[in-house]
Amino acid sequence: MHNAAATTAGGGALGAIDRAMHALEKFTALISGLGIFGLMLLGVVQIFGRKFFNAPIFGYIDIVEIAMSALVFLGLAYTERLGGHIRMELIVTHLRGRWQWMFELIGVILGLIIVAVLIFYSWEHAMRAYRSGDSTIDAQYVLWPSKMIVPVSLALLSLRLMISLWGYLRLLSDPDAAPIAVPEVIDVEEQALRDAEAAGVDVERGIAPDGGRSG
Amino acid sequence: QTIDGPKVEWNFSTWGKKRAFTAGIEKVAEIVSQRTAGKFTIKIHYAEALSKDKENLDGIKIGAFEMADFCNFYHPGKNPAYMVLSLPFLSLADWNVSKDVREAMLKHPAFVADMAQWNAQAYMSGLLPQYEFLGKGKPPATIEDWKGLRVRAGGGIGDAMRVLGAVLSTVPATEVYTAIERGTVDAASFPFTYAHAAYQVHTVTDWFTSNLSPGTAECNSVINKDAYAKLPPQYQKLLQEAKEPAYAALVNAYVEIDKVNLPLFKSKLKEVVYTDAELKKFREVAGKPVWDKWVADNKGKFDAQNVLDTVVKEIEKAEAKHKKKS
Amino acid sequence: MELTKDAIGLIGCLALIVLVFAGVRVYIAAALVGLAGIVAIIGWKAGAGIVGTIPHSKSVNYTLSVLPLFILIGYLAYHAGITQSLFDAAKKWMGWMPGGLAIATVFAVAAFSAVSGASTAAAAVFARVAIPEMLKAGYAKRLAAGVVSAGGTLDALIPPSVIMVVYAIIVEASVGKLIIAGFLPGLISALCYTLIIVVWSVIDPTVGRPIRGFTWGERFASLPGTVPVIGVIVIIFSAMYYGWATPTEAGALGAFVVYVLALFKGMRWKPFNDALLETAKLTVMIFAIIWGILIFVRFLGFAGVPEKFSEWVVSLPLPRVIIMIGILGVYLILGCFMDAIGMMLLTLPVVYPAVIKLGYDPIWFGIIVVKMAGVCLLTPPIGLNCFVVAAVRPDIPLSTVFRGALPFVIADFLAIAIFLAWPESITWLPDQIMK
Ligand code: NA
Ligand code: NA
Repeated sequence: MHNAAATTAGGGALGAIDRAMHALEKFTALISGLGIFGLMLLGVVQIFGRKFFNAPIFGYIDIVEIAMSALVFLGLAYTERLGGHIRMELIVTHLRGRWQWMFELIGVILGLIIVAVLIFYSWEHAMRAYRSGDSTIDAQYVLWPSKMIVPVSLALLSLRLMISLWGYLRLLSDPDAAPIAVPEVIDVEEQALRDAEAAGVDVERGIAPDGGRSG
Repeated sequence: QTIDGPKVEWNFSTWGKKRAFTAGIEKVAEIVSQRTAGKFTIKIHYAEALSKDKENLDGIKIGAFEMADFCNFYHPGKNPAYMVLSLPFLSLADWNVSKDVREAMLKHPAFVADMAQWNAQAYMSGLLPQYEFLGKGKPPATIEDWKGLRVRAGGGIGDAMRVLGAVLSTVPATEVYTAIERGTVDAASFPFTYAHAAYQVHTVTDWFTSNLSPGTAECNSVINKDAYAKLPPQYQKLLQEAKEPAYAALVNAYVEIDKVNLPLFKSKLKEVVYTDAELKKFREVAGKPVWDKWVADNKGKFDAQNVLDTVVKEIEKAEAKHKKKS
Repeated sequence: MELTKDAIGLIGCLALIVLVFAGVRVYIAAALVGLAGIVAIIGWKAGAGIVGTIPHSKSVNYTLSVLPLFILIGYLAYHAGITQSLFDAAKKWMGWMPGGLAIATVFAVAAFSAVSGASTAAAAVFARVAIPEMLKAGYAKRLAAGVVSAGGTLDALIPPSVIMVVYAIIVEASVGKLIIAGFLPGLISALCYTLIIVVWSVIDPTVGRPIRGFTWGERFASLPGTVPVIGVIVIIFSAMYYGWATPTEAGALGAFVVYVLALFKGMRWKPFNDALLETAKLTVMIFAIIWGILIFVRFLGFAGVPEKFSEWVVSLPLPRVIIMIGILGVYLILGCFMDAIGMMLLTLPVVYPAVIKLGYDPIWFGIIVVKMAGVCLLTPPIGLNCFVVAAVRPDIPLSTVFRGALPFVIADFLAIAIFLAWPESITWLPDQIMK
């Protein structure tokens, strides 16, 4: 769990753009989260509808497949901003200053390249579906909106990557400045403590309630 | 003798593993390679290694591979005219009739137009077998028995089942086994007999229909038009010649499977056989209305009535031809 | 000179290793190398075109829809205190052993596996529940992160399991038999993990101390806390047993039951909102890796890499055990770079017929493959479970997670050795129940 709120006020234009973008990202991620919750409710309705009313939802699988696109793509930029996308830190954690920002910058540029290609060609994919009237198997719902969510989500991601690009360029020119608008490094102990609390563990008494007696 | 020409390597995209359904194209690949001494090869990529099953037409249009399989029911919107072969109770159970009718339909302008928008041309049909139902519990001996039955059926068969008062429940093929075993659904339709056996449906059911022939679908191997046009004429000719032996290999593969499965089904399950009078009733009650609705729904897109009439006419023609022979 | 497909395949694999080690986000590295490789083989227009279809077509899949649901269960279970009480009970009963909290984690995950179908989800949930406690008790990060990553792989063996169904479908084996077959190997694997933890903690007592001093009263008092879990398990299994729900639908039912439990525990809008955001984040992260890697896997498909590898291994003139070990070696190497399902999809069509020809049992080989898929989730540079643990715990570097998972990979080999030596350990139970 990352603390996005750590980038509070300040940071000039870059900071302001970052905050505005993050509000948008968070909104899309919440849509995705609510969608997953909706997926759960839909499944329950399907089970009980069939069991008690002999009336399963027609095209249930079609609805799930169409909706999944929103559930698994909309949060791309949000996850990127929070540093949630996985990577191997073996080397980067040992880098400091300019070298560190240089590696981060390269990662962002590579990301922008592949994301740009994907935006264009996933858009094409959606447009093929739109032009041909592509539809789902059972209920024959139109498919293009589901496919269109991919380039839209990737476009949001590319905006986020451009903000990161700006952020890392700024750090590259001034390596000791406070990072703004880039996925941040979290305070390790604070993080562990927060996680433990959220897991329902009594932090005041220590994680292992039997701590004094063990060993 | 060996056919000479330039070196050409084609990729063929399909899904699943090597099986009866792929026996036809495997024969084609074998023939072209053999006759050209390896100069013209078709490499079959199984298991969606090149493209997801439902996106094979996209891959053909893009030009990612030269040949691919697709099934009409994966995406009705992408091939509206092809959907005619998914209408219920078309009489396509006989292999020879099935082959002749499908071959004829592939040349129909509406079918050609369906493929043209994907920069594709039909090559050969996968001759998907007739579907039948396998089910658990009381066998549906009459048309009325289907009322209230929870069935897993798609496309035209699903529409027909709904007319009969059955309750449609969508269950992915991979979950049919569990769904039937546990009673989530009562019966499932699949290409008969091989798909039922592949998903082990016969191990959890009590009965099977053997002559209901509720419908089938069309799966086809297509070629990218540009790739075909670029092919030297001697290779094009070879491809066309390979079709007959390929169809023979395909039919043979299905027949061999039935030889194993049918006695197995008969020994373990109760066979539900309908009389001709009952079958006629099925067609009238559950077939005709679905046909009419299909024509009405597609009127604006292409000459749906003509497509349907052509199928019916071709079936009659093929049935007459093969009856005469036998 | 034009490069051959083999050369392009090799260069692609090396390029991916370099980028991943250089710290580029895995989904970006895999997608980029995959794109470059496919374009090198079939040209820009077709290559980029086919890559553009992959994110949607590979993510939007009904069977994969259990993944977000199982992740949601995880976060709700966290608020319902379910996983916590499982872990508490396991701790009180097993904490006295060397590395006791890690052993407790193994068995708590094993129990949780019966309500979860995805290894990554199990790893995510226990990364939040078990790791903080282990760290507070002074356990080494390596052990804490390693045991959670490895424990998660038990989820694939103990039903319900997505990957098991995928195998059954590809090779057309009996789903029912395979599911029953998973229980015993799941238990054996858990015991192998226990053994490794004990050995590790005895050699180096600083990695994980025993947690002693619980009275029998406290132990029995911890049992009622596990009732909700048992309740969820009973509801899900009866729903499937009595045919109310298919396995995928049961995922939704499980999430719903846990949601109701969380409401009773007093979950309000704020934690619910957080749970939704966290679920969305982890879902996006897992799916980004899935489609990113599948772009790379598509490239391997065009280059013919996995096939060539399998063909070569099977053609060797050696005894079948050696060939089987060779096949496992291939899976080990492929598993370093690929996701488990992608690896199975690409290799099984080639390897499976050979394995059957060698006289091995389909169900037995299924468990072996699922086991190797588990190893695949633990090995660098691409090990999904380790990624998930590192994602949930940003304070633990990925390299530490991988190092911590290594002993458990050895435990997996031990388990596989047992399965090789006594195939009955897999086939006996299903043969008893299903003729
Ligand atoms: Na499981
Ligand atoms: Na791996």
